[in-house]
Amino acid sequence: MRLERLPTLRVNPSEQCTVNYHGKSYQGVAGDTVATALYANGVRVFGRSLKYHRPRGLYSLDGECSNTCMAVDGIPNVRAENTLAKNGMRVAAQNVIGSADFDWMGFMDKADWLMPAGFYYRTLHKPARLWPLALRQVRKAAGLGKISPDFKMKGRFSEIYPTADVCVIGGGPAGMSAALAAAESNLRVILLEARPWLGGCFDYRVSAFDAEKKLFERGRELAARVEAAANIRVFKHAPNVGIYNNNLVTAFQIGPPDGAYDERYIEIRATSVVVATGCIERPLLFENNERPGVMQVGCAHRLARTYGVMPGRRAVFSIGHDMGLEAAIDLCDLGMEIACVADIRDDGQAPDLLMALAERRIPFLKGWVAARTHGAKQVKKVTLRSIEGSVKRQFECDLLVASAGFTPLTGALTMAQARLRYDAHTGYFMPTQLPAKMHVAGTMTGRNHPLSIEASGRLAGLRAAADCGADNADAVTVADTHLGRLPGPERGTKLVTAPVKGRKSFICFDEDTTVKNIKQAIDMGFDVPELIKRFTSAGTGPGQGGIPGHNLPLFTARYQALSGATPLPTVARAPLVPTLVATYAGAHHDMCKRTPLDELQKRDGGVFRRIGVWQRARYFSEDLSCREEVLNVRNNVGMLDGSTLGKFRLHGPDALKALQRVYVGNMAKMSPGKIKYSAMCNEDGCVIDDGVVVKLSENEYYFTTSTARAGETAEWFRYHTRYDGWDYHIVNLTDGLGVVNISGPNARKVLQKVVDADISNEAFPFGGYREFTVQGAIPVRAMRLGFVGELSYELHAPAACMVSLWEILTEAGKEFGIRNFGVEAQNVLRMEKCHIILGVESEQRTNLLDLGLGFLWDRHKTDTKTVGTVALRQAEGDPNHFRLVGIEMENPERAPRDGSIIVDRRIRGYVCTARRSFSLNRAVGMALVEAESAGVGTRLEIFEDECDGRRLAARVVPMPFYDPPGNRMRM
Amino acid sequence: MALTISCPVCGKRNGYEFRYGGEDKGPRPDEKGLTPRTWCDYAHMNACVAGVQKEWWCHKNGCGVWFTIHRNTLTNLEVDGPEVTS
Ligand SMILES: [Zn+2]
Repeated sequence: MRLERLPTLRVNPSEQCTVNYHGKSYQGVAGDTVATALYANGVRVFGRSLKYHRPRGLYSLDGECSNTCMAVDGIPNVRAENTLAKNGMRVAAQNVIGSADFDWMGFMDKADWLMPAGFYYRTLHKPARLWPLALRQVRKAAGLGKISPDFKMKGRFSEIYPTADVCVIGGGPAGMSAALAAAESNLRVILLEARPWLGGCFDYRVSAFDAEKKLFERGRELAARVEAAANIRVFKHAPNVGIYNNNLVTAFQIGPPDGAYDERYIEIRATSVVVATGCIERPLLFENNERPGVMQVGCAHRLARTYGVMPGRRAVFSIGHDMGLEAAIDLCDLGMEIACVADIRDDGQAPDLLMALAERRIPFLKGWVAARTHGAKQVKKVTLRSIEGSVKRQFECDLLVASAGFTPLTGALTMAQARLRYDAHTGYFMPTQLPAKMHVAGTMTGRNHPLSIEASGRLAGLRAAADCGADNADAVTVADTHLGRLPGPERGTKLVTAPVKGRKSFICFDEDTTVKNIKQAIDMGFDVPELIKRFTSAGTGPGQGGIPGHNLPLFTARYQALSGATPLPTVARAPLVPTLVATYAGAHHDMCKRTPLDELQKRDGGVFRRIGVWQRARYFSEDLSCREEVLNVRNNVGMLDGSTLGKFRLHGPDALKALQRVYVGNMAKMSPGKIKYSAMCNEDGCVIDDGVVVKLSENEYYFTTSTARAGETAEWFRYHTRYDGWDYHIVNLTDGLGVVNISGPNARKVLQKVVDADISNEAFPFGGYREFTVQGAIPVRAMRLGFVGELSYELHAPAACMVSLWEILTEAGKEFGIRNFGVEAQNVLRMEKCHIILGVESEQRTNLLDLGLGFLWDRHKTDTKTVGTVALRQAEGDPNHFRLVGIEMENPERAPRDGSIIVDRRIRGYVCTARRSFSLNRAVGMALVEAESAGVGTRLEIFEDECDGRRLAARVVPMPFYDPPGNRMRM
Repeated sequence: MALTISCPVCGKRNGYEFRYGGEDKGPRPDEKGLTPRTWCDYAHMNACVAGVQKEWWCHKNGCGVWFTIHRNTLTNLEVDGPEVTS
């Protein structure tokens, strides 16, 4: 039974939409939220409260509390009031055993006396041994939603980072006026609105704006102008979640049905900001003030006007402002029976509203307030009392519309570190000091007259434009004068609590905090709202203080009854509105780099793994031990794509000085045609990189770094020479050059077939560097290295030539049975030689000496201020370091997993890499162990994950394991 | 995350693009006469000013230059450096 013909509707009653709630189908209409669709079908209890399992229902329609947090399609804690219903959605109530209507935990409501404020802190820690038991029970009972550990988040998420001159937060009449005013100066304006439409507090109201227009018509007129402005970018259904200094504004937006994203994160850099977030209602505090059937004025009014759903049959109103009277009159005209309207105020009501109430014969009590609702799961009856408590009357009803007054949504302001002060006239927290280039407008300034709201928006918009350099001083003066002539901020209602004890008067719905709990906290000495908030947890729930945000400080100030106890606001933090973590994560871009040989490696059956930023071929068969790949390199010849290696050109008159600064070796001692292996340390002498350096000519060097360090190397050089003003340049060639590593006893035979240069062992010995061309066309920089321990050439060539180079070598190697080897085979090969990989055989604390690489360090190089050498000098002889050792397993078939720990009665070290060695028929590896366990022959016990207490035994052995004299790489 | 930094080459850019390089502590000391204590002070100890400090930043996702700015650590905003008076 929808009100289908209202001009204010934001739903389309002719289009159906079905949601599934606890196994039953409910018909909603297009534009419904989950909450309104269920409410339209008679659902009144939406869930149960956190501690007491009290029934909870629709209260605010803007998701200000957890009352209507539900599980939707497996996602817990979804705010049903803000989530559009979609066909086929599966909705479930939370925190219930049974159903929302019949919750087996409902008895908890009678147990409130067991749980005073700070219950957990004060009760469950004595005796200590009971705490683990209590913990389990508390954990079971705590929290509202449940999520399955196997839950996989579905949906498409996105992110955008726009910039703007002016960002306006809030698309109500003030925000729209501000955006239009700022847009007049041809600035780029962004307007954020939390609801799916613009219009704010005008959108659903049918009171007159002026002689021709009603408020909602005016709202839509402004919205049309905003949407038509080319330089205003509107984000609707986009709640603001944060605001930071420099006017960085964050939000998230819910995507349109069938749009390109479900939700997206928005981060806006704006020069100036207008905050026009408006007001929410301040809950009225009385007994059972959150019983389903109690709702705020705007909620009841918008249910009817925006969604076409009658909130009840017979209503009682207990309100404190004219908007309440306006809603009562309008709902009466729409066919609702109004049993009584109680107004907290004795006077001050608008005369035309009083007349309208009288015309409709609506009983009206001035100076009265709701004191209690009756009914176990739903309101059946309301007790009203005069404010001083002496007289009472009861009314049967199924709806109590209750609201003490308004409170501005200041979350954005407190986050931006604006100073707020309680304003006695409006009863609002108002900014006394705003951050630079930030302005406020609209109802949050206390103005309620429609013309004042718009005028304040216009003024703020013009000022924000002036912050961006707009030449509009005259317009600002005019707007300011105009605003001054319009009605100013209105007097707010003072009432804090109805005349009751407050045992079931809830100040915070999310955390089940009552007025009584607050009194207990204050009696225990917590005198400041921020402390009371933490002790009672009021305002720490998903609603982010929307419900208690105003009442808590007001009540605290009142209860303390101290002279000069002005209410102090609590601070809101991001996200101001609950946001999916998936939205913050955004689109999952898997950004990786691929080598020039990627396609070829795939064609050859490479099994790829992500290694750092790279996708690399790790295996070339199903055999993850890589036996064939390893033996082929040892006995024949293999080829590896080493293109991920960091490659750099360093040149300029001061290039050598730069090398001397970062490398521990003496880089002045380099001869042409020879490579120099060296290492870089950090200030602590810990090794961060190793690689080879070649002197190409005077002031011109070429060097390599490990794959992982390539990205930071240029930065590292520049950082450590930043005070020197040296004239040198560093060029990162990592992506511009590719690398093929051809290794094995037959490597020379293959290579000789495709190059004209003499590459015999005499002409191009181990440790040499040569430049030649392959087949007269491909320029190659060749190095003779021994990482895998065999005769080996590392060929560096332009990335564009890599495919050709690889195919030429493959063709030339056919007669020898050349084949690929992958990263894992290389790992085994180099491990047999005890050649380290930084980050595997080292960690952050491992210095050059620990790795046995002290020979790389030139101790006489003292005037170069080499990074790390001061620390190395101090570390020499320090026994408190792990040492890198070779280990051999007692069981030759069984290598421990990498990272297994070495123990006796405590941890003595850990295994870096260990493998079954096919070349040696032993299980060997490298480990970092305490110095006292590092002696050759020491027996080590290794504890592996899931080893069932059976430790593996190993013995420290000399390094390297394979070809100790190094003859094979020098062949 | 709200920080913006003025790169001398590229201008004012999003703070995400930069890497922090520590307080400005002057050039590396000579190794001669360095005690472990004085070295540690240079390498690891910081003034941790609550207020304006001069510090190094690298435009790592941009031009790659290292430069100094003045930043107010209380507001996390870049500020104009103190006037140099001769
Ligand atoms: Zn730059």
